[in-house]
Amino acid sequence: MFDRKNLMKLLALTMLVSLLASACVATPPQAAAPAGEQPAAAQPAAGGEQITLRWANIIDATGQEQWKAVVDAFQAKYPNIRVVSESTAGSGAAIYPDVLKTSIASGSPPDLFFMWGGSIAQPFIDAGQVMDLGPYYDKFGWHGKFAPWVVERIKSDGKLYGVPYHALGMGFWYNKTLWNEKGWSVPTTFAEQEELCAKMKEAGMYCVSIGGKFGWHTMRVLDYFLEHHCGPELHDKLNRLEERWDHPCVIDSYATFQKWIDNGWVVPDFLTVSPDDSRFPFFAGEAGLVLEGVWYEGVLKNNEQNIADYDFYLPPTDHTPLRFSAFPEQWMIPSGAAHPDEAALFIDFITSPEVQTQFPINDFANSATIGVNPDCNEWPLTCKWREIILSAEDTYPPTDQAFVKELMDGFFEVQDAIVAKRMTPEEGAALMQRRVEEWQAR
Amino acid sequence: MENTMTTQANRDSSASAGQRHKIASMKAEQRFTNTMLYILLSAMAVVWLMPFVIIVLTSVRSMGDLISNGVFAWPREIVLSNFERAWNIGNFSTYFRNSLLLIIFKVPLGIIIASLAAFPLAKMQFRFNNAIFIFFLIGLAIPIHVTLTPLLVMMKQLGIQGTLAALIPPYVVFGLPFQIFVMRGFFRTVPSELLEAARIDGATEWGNFWRILMPLSAPALATLFIIDALATWNELLIALVLISSNDWRTVPVGLLQFQGQFSSQYTQLMAGVLISITPIITLYVFLQRYMVAGLTAGALKE
Amino acid sequence: MSTITDELLPNRPMRRRKRIRLTPYLFLAPALIWYLIFLVYPMYQSLVISFMRWDGLSADIQFIGVENYRRIFFEDDTARLALRNNVLWTLGTLLIPTTIGLMLAVALDRKLRGRTVLRAIFYGPAVLPLVAVGMIWAWMYNPQFGFINYVLKSIGLGFLARGWLSVYETALPATFLTAVWGGVGFPMVLYLAALQAIPQEQYEAAKMDGANSRQLFWNITLPWLREANVIVFSLAVINSFKTFDLIYTMTYGGPGRSTQVLGTWMYFHAFQYYNAGYGAAIAWVIAAITLVMAIPYIQRMSRD
Repeated sequence: MFDRKNLMKLLALTMLVSLLASACVATPPQAAAPAGEQPAAAQPAAGGEQITLRWANIIDATGQEQWKAVVDAFQAKYPNIRVVSESTAGSGAAIYPDVLKTSIASGSPPDLFFMWGGSIAQPFIDAGQVMDLGPYYDKFGWHGKFAPWVVERIKSDGKLYGVPYHALGMGFWYNKTLWNEKGWSVPTTFAEQEELCAKMKEAGMYCVSIGGKFGWHTMRVLDYFLEHHCGPELHDKLNRLEERWDHPCVIDSYATFQKWIDNGWVVPDFLTVSPDDSRFPFFAGEAGLVLEGVWYEGVLKNNEQNIADYDFYLPPTDHTPLRFSAFPEQWMIPSGAAHPDEAALFIDFITSPEVQTQFPINDFANSATIGVNPDCNEWPLTCKWREIILSAEDTYPPTDQAFVKELMDGFFEVQDAIVAKRMTPEEGAALMQRRVEEWQAR
Repeated sequence: MENTMTTQANRDSSASAGQRHKIASMKAEQRFTNTMLYILLSAMAVVWLMPFVIIVLTSVRSMGDLISNGVFAWPREIVLSNFERAWNIGNFSTYFRNSLLLIIFKVPLGIIIASLAAFPLAKMQFRFNNAIFIFFLIGLAIPIHVTLTPLLVMMKQLGIQGTLAALIPPYVVFGLPFQIFVMRGFFRTVPSELLEAARIDGATEWGNFWRILMPLSAPALATLFIIDALATWNELLIALVLISSNDWRTVPVGLLQFQGQFSSQYTQLMAGVLISITPIITLYVFLQRYMVAGLTAGALKE
Repeated sequence: MSTITDELLPNRPMRRRKRIRLTPYLFLAPALIWYLIFLVYPMYQSLVISFMRWDGLSADIQFIGVENYRRIFFEDDTARLALRNNVLWTLGTLLIPTTIGLMLAVALDRKLRGRTVLRAIFYGPAVLPLVAVGMIWAWMYNPQFGFINYVLKSIGLGFLARGWLSVYETALPATFLTAVWGGVGFPMVLYLAALQAIPQEQYEAAKMDGANSRQLFWNITLPWLREANVIVFSLAVINSFKTFDLIYTMTYGGPGRSTQVLGTWMYFHAFQYYNAGYGAAIAWVIAAITLVMAIPYIQRMSRD
């Protein structure tokens, strides 16, 4: 009978070990279990109940360090709320939406989460997984608190499902010092832009450095060409799929892209170079421009570059108003959040001008909140951007915030084929139109 | 093991003169082969080590130096502050604790369960032997991604979602099919006569498992342990999805933090990578001992 | 064998037979229970989802029968391309890392000085986290400053230099080369473990009989490696069809969709395109293909 007895013992032992393992790791000193599942009291701040607020974001290590003071200030003001940051950084924040989606789909959403604008946020809205924050806008007086175009951009069917966090615009960044040496000046028309690229080529440089790996870095350049060739009205229609994608202006845009590549104006073989690595030729003085956003001043600093050497300009489109690519980032509250009231309270706190002024961290430099101004001595270029962004008459969204991801990848596929010259501009435009039709049919 | 050595020594000394001559010429041949092997293996080793060299070079320089002089240039100046920054802002002490806890609980547990299951599959005849084996193989073929959402729901129902404990069941289970497969293969190479003889001597299956099969499979077990420990240490996707709180994150998830949305701190990241692989390399070197030749030969001969 | 033993020993009580039949299941129980709960159940759920149209988020789930599977095989060009890439990847994996791994194992099984270090080096890639692997190999292949182009140029092969990962034709082979770098260690350690189990006196005896080293390898080593071969080859097939990590980090399926494999295509659908049903269907296609290839092979090789 030894066999069975011992096996039973082993079974028991296995169970015990796994139980122990679970117990040991499940009861940490910091006790990670949520404080309770019942809905929060109407007056969250006054409630004595201890609450853990799960805050999903994409803040990287350096950012986490800076945010700590802000979170501490919030917890000091509301001692019954403990904010737990659940950050998923990573290059281009490519996996964050996947992680977020899984947590929501499995019924354990965070209490508030970071989201981009437009089509990236739309699936969450369509699935009914995020709250209409209208009541909180009324309650906390958020109307008028944020840059108007940002608020417009995050609206969906006239409803507000998010609270603006960042207002980000993009332009061409260049090395001022280098340009002065070479005697180059900022172009004001598209023709001048192309002339400038030709001059750079003559000087043995490339004009623009792109990292094509995820598609969106290449897209920024193509978006610029679309804005130039199609003009504001048509560009917007294209983004809304109200105009055919085999329109002549799309063909022209693809043709211009191929021309830039043929002329050697773009750092070659960039299709799977990561956007991160595309800065090497730029910093090394091998490429004259990068199409980057307002955040780039922070990138320059992290890369130990001298800010005084750099400047940016809005790419000339030959249209008025001069539109540039811009997009919002926002905070959202899942419908299944355990503590929506406290989440709104936290959002109110971190988007308030007072708090953002009191804690001038990098993440607040591009705030969507009106009345927050970065230190212009320390952040001269961000300061310059802010004026442009907050006063912008009109902007256009990057295509990846206009198209759903599946259609977007069709767009990227065509874009890559154009770059690699596997398709003529006409073929590319025709394929793009077919992808749009396939999408609309479904 | 001692047994083996003595037998071999006896045989050597009893070899005749003619045989000795043969052995001598073979030894010369062997020396030549070994030299050629060294040259080839060293050349390969250089290629294989290249990425490690880049990691080290990148981790000891400043970001500005890296950006302006390129990845493959020699560092202008050796900077060690990356390690300190990586350790501090990267919260590595927490990640180390979590990953080590995982390895300590998960790896032995998984391998023992797998070995237990592999024993009957390899050495016993029963009705569903084949069916059960194939049943386990299906688990090997399914991509883990599609099981993530159901798993997360399950962990939530068990009340361990978000904690380190949530990783143990999936980690064990995703290792099982492979480990059962490997252990079954190795158990099959053990001669059945050994077990039969022991059975006739009155040994139980339980005893056979622990006293014959497991010791004989030491190299396989050590190999599995290494493979599994490394896989566990570097597993990213499940940890990313099942663990949300920064307090319970593991090392590979922690490394993601050095890549921001718009730029990556390459130098700190590589410092972090170096820090993160140190314990696992130590473990590897330590376990290598148990993979030495001859550990099993003695027992098989009897 | 256990039952046979029983029959050969009539002096043992009859009820023992019943107990022995239970024994295999007792040994299997922990693994089976664990496996059923934590893997079979989620797998079953994903199988159910593969017959649905579902965005993976909302409560709106619709049964559409085999529609997802039909689309994979008859409408989805990218899936076909991905399948082709998987087949190429599998053939490559069966051939290259496996052979190199075996050669390394045989070489490092000899009493070479420093073999411990060498073994560690060739299995070394396994210690590196994916994020580092992706980044470093992107640098190696970088069209501007990459080490590979640099080496080619400095040995006079500059005409071969190109943006390896960015050219449609070379992206997959270049990624595969990284997979070889990362993939020889695994068969190597498995073969090494198998080599340890070969009784040394078989070699000694054969040597006494005048066998040369090639004969030793073919007549002793290889037959003893049969079980290891089964494991290495079938895992090569299974893992090649599941391949995901390296493609995802190095090329992200690009340029265009030229390096999409079924694993990444499944991931894009399930996690990025909000087609949970379609993604699950691709996953089951992957499983079905690998099992159809691997199981008969394993079964045939398992016959004594």
